[in-house]
This record gives sequence, C-alpha cells and structure tokens, in this order.
Amino acid sequence: MTSPGEEASVTSDFVRSYVITGGRSLPAADDLALHTLVTLAPERTPPLGAGPEVMAIWQLCAGGYLSVAEVAGHLGLPVGVARLLLTDLFEQGHLLRRAEPPRAQNVDRATLEKVLNGLQSLIG
Amino acid sequence: MALRRTRKDLEAGLGEARGDIGQLHAHIAALTAQHQRDLADVRADAEASTKAVLKSAMGTLQSLAEEQQVLLDNLLKKYGDTTDVLADLMTVDHTGSQFSRRAKGISVLCGGWLGRRERAATVYDVARSAQGRIKDFDRVSVHSQVNVSLVGKAVEPVAVVLAELLDNATNYSAPGTPVEVNIQAVPTGLCFIVDDAGLGMDQETKDRAAALLSVDGPVDITGLGDPPRFGFAVCGMLAARYGFAVSVGSVSPYGGVRAVIRVPESLLAADAPAPVADAQDTASPEAPPQRLAPVPVVGPSHVVGTTSGGLPKRRRRGGPVTVVPALDAGQEGTPEPVSEVTASRLGAFARGTQLGRTTNTTEGPDNK
Repeated sequence: MTSPGEEASVTSDFVRSYVITGGRSLPAADDLALHTLVTLAPERTPPLGAGPEVMAIWQLCAGGYLSVAEVAGHLGLPVGVARLLLTDLFEQGHLLRRAEPPRAQNVDRATLEKVLNGLQSLIG
Repeated sequence: MALRRTRKDLEAGLGEARGDIGQLHAHIAALTAQHQRDLADVRADAEASTKAVLKSAMGTLQSLAEEQQVLLDNLLKKYGDTTDVLADLMTVDHTGSQFSRRAKGISVLCGGWLGRRERAATVYDVARSAQGRIKDFDRVSVHSQVNVSLVGKAVEPVAVVLAELLDNATNYSAPGTPVEVNIQAVPTGLCFIVDDAGLGMDQETKDRAAALLSVDGPVDITGLGDPPRFGFAVCGMLAARYGFAVSVGSVSPYGGVRAVIRVPESLLAADAPAPVADAQDTASPEAPPQRLAPVPVVGPSHVVGTTSGGLPKRRRRGGPVTVVPALDAGQEGTPEPVSEVTASRLGAFARGTQLGRTTNTTEGPDNK
C-alpha cells in the first residue's frame, strides 16, 4: 500500500461503470448472450450525442461480426454494461445480431481412433 | 497658604496617578496583545497538529478507498455476465466512490494530496468521473461542446472540485430536478458550467462561498461548522494549488445557482484526441480486433426503396460477392502469416456455407 503523495498514482477506472449505464437497470443476460454475434447495420449514422463507449462499439462493430464478450473485452467494460449499450443500439436498429455459430460436431471416439491408427500406420 | 499648598500636592498626586493609570493601560494593552498572540499561536499549533493527524489518517483511508476501487474494477469484470451480482457490485462501487471523495476532500484541506492520474482524460470523462462521486448522480446530465483533454495532473483535482459543486447543486435543489454540466471553450481555456434548479443562495452564503473560494493559504478546518461544510473550502484550496478558478456567484437559467470552473489553457493536453464524430473513420491505435469475416448482407443494405407495386427496389451490387473481406486499412501493415490466412479463409468458407444452410439468422430488431 503506497501512501498518497503527489507522486502516488491512482489507477482505478476513472469513469465508474454505473455512470456509463446512467444508473439504469441492466438487461437480462439471455437477451444478448455472451457468444451472440453483433455487427453494425448497413448505412447507419451514430446516434446524436453518443458517448465515447457507444462510439467505440460503433468502430468495433463496423468491420464485421464480433461476439458480445469480445466487444466488452475491447471496451474494457463489464459484460453487463457493454450488453446494456449494445441493447440500446439494437433497439434503435443500429445493430444486427445472430446466434453464435454452431460448434463443430464431436466425432465419435471410434472414428478418432481409426484416424489415429491410420496416421500411426502412415508415420510409423 | 496651607490650603494652596495642599491643593498643589493634590494636583501633583493626581498627575502622578493619571500617569500610573496610563502606564497601567499600556501594560494591559501589551499583556492583551501578548495574550492574543499566544492564543493565536496555540490555535495555529493545535490546528497544525490536528491537520497533521487528520492528513495522515485520511491518507490511509484514501489508499484503502483506492485499493477497494481497483478491487471492484476487477470484480465488476469478473462478474460482468451475472446481472444481479453486477448490479449489486455497482451500488457498492457507488458508495465507495462517495466515501473516497470525502476522504480526498478532508485530506486536501489538511495539506494532503489527491493522488495523480498518469493519463490525460477528456473533459467529458472528467465530468462523468465527477458525476460518479456524488449521491444523486442520476440527476446530472453532461453536455460537452468541446473535445479536449486535461493534462494528467489536473484530472483528479478538477474532477474532485466538480464533484463538490455537483454535490452542492444536488443537495440544494429539489429531489428530481435536473442538474446540468455544460463544458464550453473560452478564449483562455475552457469552462465547466454547473446549473441547478434550486432556490439559489442568500447573500451570506454567497459571501462565505466567495471567501472560501479565494483562499490563499491554509484553511481553518475547525471553522467549517458542525457538520462541517468542506465543499467550497476544498474547491478554493485545489483551485489555488493547481491554477484554475471556481466561482459560484451567478444565477442559473433555471433560477438556481450557476457554478463555473474555469480551466486555463496551460492545464489542457496539447494533443487532443480525435473528435468523437471522426472516431469511426480513424483506425484504432491499438491492435485491431480479430473479427469474424463479415457475411455479405442480403436484404436490407441493397433495398433502396419500393416500387410502385410495393416490391423492394434493390441496388445493384457494387462488386463480386465475397465472403472474405479485403483486409481493411488498419490491418494492411501487418500481413498475416500464410497459414493464418488460409485458416481464416477456410473458416470463412465454412461459416458461409453454414449461413446458407441455417435459418436462424436474425436481422434487425423486428426479428427479436
């Protein structure tokens, strides 16, 4: 613990997250799940008076689909806060979203073993 | 004859007595002055030692408050996806911020320091940071007409002063009434203007405020009342120390108090960040995020209107439809290794065919 002097630096986040949300209640997590992909709707202009966080989302999402978790990560904001901002943009029609891409289906163990055996016979 | 002599004696005696009285008066005056000086010295000593003790105690509290806020920063991110926990943590964070502001205020009055932000911050963020340090932060709205940053060393002091002014504004106006912060450029720097819709201040309060805001030396903390009203004293102290000005004399357009912080050009950061409006055009200086390849948008983007028959009119596509985007300007400088390009193309191809096969694509808010 450093004692605060003129030189002691303060590193906590300068703008607290409850100010960014404006004290509004947070949307439920299932509205925009962590893996939901979002991107900017075409031919949109940023809402008037958009804050720096919204502008950052705008910039991030302009180039293609990003997951909600990634947006939060790039903004350095808690996911719930990013989700609120994304929900706002979504409701204003600025964002498109789609469900996370389905995961590759797991191949059954027998097939994997066959491949392994085949590879071993090729190499060995 | 005898009478005359007696009278002479008496007059001489009287003169002597008057002289003595004069001397006594002078002596008393000297003693009183001495007493006053001693009293002032004792008071100053007491004040100084009180301040020294408070300063050190507040320093500990400041450190703890800062430590707690850093902890909360991490917790907020850790539980960011758990809505209930996040909301509760935010309320804890809010009380912590108010606590920290109080500790900082008392510390400043006792000659302590605020702690220093290493990085410049935009005036908009300074205002929002200040907003977060008071109880009724949701009554405050911030409007910035300028996009300038304050230098690192001015960031905390201005935020603390603005927080004190906002605290006053929200405390001395009816609950629910708005408090506005407007940030405007002036020829000598910029102004944070705080307007409330309260009843305004009476002359006595105005005089007291003016006196405290123009302090030029240590403030008598025992003279701030009980409960102590630190606000203006903190503002005056910080303004004097860092070279900006605070005034609260005027009337707001809503009939309440207008408080103004005037920050000179010397405390503004030289290299202003890109204006908000242009932010979307400039490539981010940080590493560009790894995005999924954009999927060609079917529908909305190419619909440019409707025909008279009500069918959507589509715009001709500008170029070949491709799933793999041209690398944008920000990424040109760092060519990806061939294997990664191949992988990303394969991935894009897989996603493209997947998109064609699935029907769960949602477009826009209508399909929510």
